Amino acid sequence: MALSGAISGLLLPVAAFAILGESVEGIDSSWVFVVAPLGLAIGVGYGIARYYRFSYELTAETFDVTSGVLSVQSREIPYGRVQNVDVRQKLVHRLFGVAVVSIETAGGGDTEATLNFVAEDEANRVQAEIRRLTAAIEADDGDDTRPAPSTEADTSAGDRTDSAEPRAARELLFELEFRELLLYAGTAIRPGAAIFPLFLLLVLTGDPTSLVPESITELSLVALSAIGIVAWALATSAISAAYTVAGYYDFRLERDGNDFVYERGLIERYSGSIPVEKVQSVTISDTLLQRLFGYASLSVETAGYGPGDSSGSQSTVPFAAESRVYRFAEGIAGVERPQFTSHPAMARRRYLARYAILATLVVAAAFLTAQVIGLERWYFAAVAFAAVPPAAHLKWTHMGYYVGDDHLVIRRGFWRRETTVIPYFRIQTVTTRRSLFQRRLGLASLVVDTASSRTFTGSVPTIENMGLEDARTAHENSRKQLQRTLRDRARDENVGLSPEMA
Amino acid sequence: MEILNPRIRLLWIAQGAIAALVLGIVLAAVDQWATDVPTSVIAGIVALGLVLGIAYAVRLYQVWQFELQSDALYLERGVITFVETAVPFVRVQHVDTQFGPIERALGLSSVVVYTAGSRNADVRIPGLTPDRARDLQDTLRELAVESEADDGV
Repeated sequence: MALSGAISGLLLPVAAFAILGESVEGIDSSWVFVVAPLGLAIGVGYGIARYYRFSYELTAETFDVTSGVLSVQSREIPYGRVQNVDVRQKLVHRLFGVAVVSIETAGGGDTEATLNFVAEDEANRVQAEIRRLTAAIEADDGDDTRPAPSTEADTSAGDRTDSAEPRAARELLFELEFRELLLYAGTAIRPGAAIFPLFLLLVLTGDPTSLVPESITELSLVALSAIGIVAWALATSAISAAYTVAGYYDFRLERDGNDFVYERGLIERYSGSIPVEKVQSVTISDTLLQRLFGYASLSVETAGYGPGDSSGSQSTVPFAAESRVYRFAEGIAGVERPQFTSHPAMARRRYLARYAILATLVVAAAFLTAQVIGLERWYFAAVAFAAVPPAAHLKWTHMGYYVGDDHLVIRRGFWRRETTVIPYFRIQTVTTRRSLFQRRLGLASLVVDTASSRTFTGSVPTIENMGLEDARTAHENSRKQLQRTLRDRARDENVGLSPEMA
Repeated sequence: MEILNPRIRLLWIAQGAIAALVLGIVLAAVDQWATDVPTSVIAGIVALGLVLGIAYAVRLYQVWQFELQSDALYLERGVITFVETAVPFVRVQHVDTQFGPIERALGLSSVVVYTAGSRNADVRIPGLTPDRARDLQDTLRELAVESEADDGV
């Protein structure tokens, strides 16, 4: 950390001065020789001060972090509130044998505690220790004696060389074989990867429009666009596959007491722990290709990450045979294999109308492009309408929901099908929505909100366009089941406590 | 079911009027610096906006109602999209009373109920008299404490 402080101390002022010197007129460049060393000294000083002012401690009940040079912040996180503990190592970290530990709770948007640059072993020790103390507190609830931390750790982020906790109690649940990894890489769709080829094109050519010849016939323009799109798709899937391989190489999932612990990564190593008790919802997703091969992936959501936080991929089982994924879901959420109810045919009509509007927009766009660049047969874009009925039908057939005894299961999506399992116990609010069109067709959408910080689609779990009566029943049922599970839990807790109280 | 204080319509009408006014100013600016927009068109659009705003406010007031049920706070609202929400008391994190400048002038107050939910985590009941708002806040707080349990997070 001192090294990093020194490096950032060195680079920051120089870079800042360089940028300032570039943009602001009238700064004599000779000043750089005076200001840069001064800035460097301040930077190094600040880095060192930050290092010495940073300390953390594992007490019996809380994880304490004290940091700050000018304004000091000290924070105590009760173990019972910890959602995720992640250990991240980028390439630079691995070269220096250090890691970043982040501790997430449900409160606040940011990561609640980040330990930058702790020794690798120490990072693993902190992760294991937090899990151990959390488990000890939970097992010990109601008792006055608290477990003592295994070491009197008042460690400022430094070089500790203790070996990590023994991993005797760990049970290996899942390991991603190389063959499976390749299959996963080939079938996973990462829409984010689509940007990179465009970016690359922009960087390499400077001006992509220069690739299009000045005089061009209409036919060759269409051909050129087709080739361009195919090349783009290929580049995207190649980048996406490389990203998947790098990210999920050597994936292992273990169960350690009441926690799931995973490790993954080729160049950057990630490891995270997910307490079983904190799981908000479970999502099984499979792309069209993965369905053909009979594979699926499973991810769990906790309340730990802030909205839009992409750092923690909570893919618990990135890729496994479908039956195996369902067995995992059974194990985690206790969900039985759901019997899906399909949506009323009226719902399909809505999608038909919606996609027809989309097709109209496509034709309109083609018409406008034709006006600008003089394309003649723009009306060929009307083939988009041919795709409308099958698209609406596929959308409709791939939707479903299941109102179970302990869970609500929502399924949707054709290209990438997602099946979300929500335990009634995790429900925060239940909402029925009916838009103007839905009211006319006798449809309603049921929105079941949980404290999950991140669902895969980035939206609140919703059963879209179900029959009004079914929506009302499901709404009432969700509320009733929530109260029932609350009562069950309260009773179980009392039963659990009675021997100690007697 | 409890309905809101009728004065809330004035607040919503005022909000609609402000929006219509802003639209009018934007149109006037377009007229000034971009293309010609006839004054009658601007006046017509602003008038239409006002009428729609009033109709919307009246309808929203007719639709809006809430109730403290045995297990949850239940609300119905919405003109274009009709929304029914149940907020179980166990899930209430904290309860605020708030009022803005127009609300204060009208002698109104809002109660905002927060849950740990991911989105739409706050539920607002506008158009209450300050006494009723404080009363509701206290009741909700008591109900939340009474049903004290795991918060599901």
